Amino acid sequence: MIKKLFLLFIPCLFLLASCNQGAKNADVNKADTVSLAVKSFIDSAAKYVEKPIRIEGTVLHTCKEGGKRMFLADGTDSITVEVTTGANIPKFDENLIGSRVKVLGILKEERVDAKYLNEWEAQTKKPAEDHSTGIHSATKGHEDQGTKETLDQINSLRDDLKKSGKDHLSFYSVEAISYTVAK
Amino acid sequence: MQRKTLRRWNNAIHRDLGYFFFGMTFIYALSGIILNHFKSGDFAHPDYSKKYEQLTVALPANAVADKAYALKVLEQVHEEKHFRSFILGNGYIDIFFDNGSLYVDLSSGKAELETKTPRYILKEFNLLHYNSIKKWFTWFSDAYAVGLILMAITGLFVLRGKNGIMWRGAVLAVIGIIIPLIIILLYT
Repeated sequence: MIKKLFLLFIPCLFLLASCNQGAKNADVNKADTVSLAVKSFIDSAAKYVEKPIRIEGTVLHTCKEGGKRMFLADGTDSITVEVTTGANIPKFDENLIGSRVKVLGILKEERVDAKYLNEWEAQTKKPAEDHSTGIHSATKGHEDQGTKETLDQINSLRDDLKKSGKDHLSFYSVEAISYTVAK
Repeated sequence: MQRKTLRRWNNAIHRDLGYFFFGMTFIYALSGIILNHFKSGDFAHPDYSKKYEQLTVALPANAVADKAYALKVLEQVHEEKHFRSFILGNGYIDIFFDNGSLYVDLSSGKAELETKTPRYILKEFNLLHYNSIKKWFTWFSDAYAVGLILMAITGLFVLRGKNGIMWRGAVLAVIGIIIPLIIILLYT
């Protein structure tokens, strides 16, 4: 009997070995965090890249596929802030839509340059879909964006890049460490 | 090692892995069906079933779409007690309530009511399938994947004779390999 049950011990050992692999909690000193507003986020984001911030807003959209992103708005949808899941947050549930949330997270910058846009264009023209690339917006159903729309978006970003006079465009988001739903 | 002993070990591995990973197979298979149909566009969302209804609502009397207007519109769909918030867009208002939202075109009064019902249990299964938890579950799901490979290989040698890999098993296994190969050749 013992001999026959030995196989069960192999996966159990796997489990035990992996118990020590717990995610490292981000070491954030809450007193150092700056509170940013959704409406002025874009203007002030550059100063706080890789720093902890707090932000509050209404959840306008969560990504359907895996819930890795949510978008916060404040009153209108003209300005939104992208929030991504950190190590301790499995997903942003669809049920958060319409709720007021307070997020503590690290402000992240994504730089988009000509090389990035060229690679994105090449990837878009391939049949297989890769959800990890591209600039995510709060538009409903953006995950279902077709090839033409994506290529239009890439060309529009190329124009923006040219107009900016810089070698890259910056997109800011917040990687959430924790969040609470305001009552 | 004698052939008989080898087969005994083969069958024991196949059986015990099958028992141990029964739960994982069940979880992955069920959520796999859901995610399959979500990917192919049959479901609007993997975790929620959604219903859409087109209707016409009154436009704001003083042309101001505010909370009072949002509540009044929600009365029409009997959701005023579940009001959460609203967001104003360019020519529209999106009103959120506990189990859905109401999109209103402020120029025509045409509205779309979206109501959602959670797919309880399947929602949690999807969470595992996507490995949204990460951490130690990555290791456990890797162990499951290795277990599946072992189960597939040992499964070939469970039976002896014409129902085993020497005839029936071989024919079915080859068909099962050819089908995905054809799909890859046709669509890639």
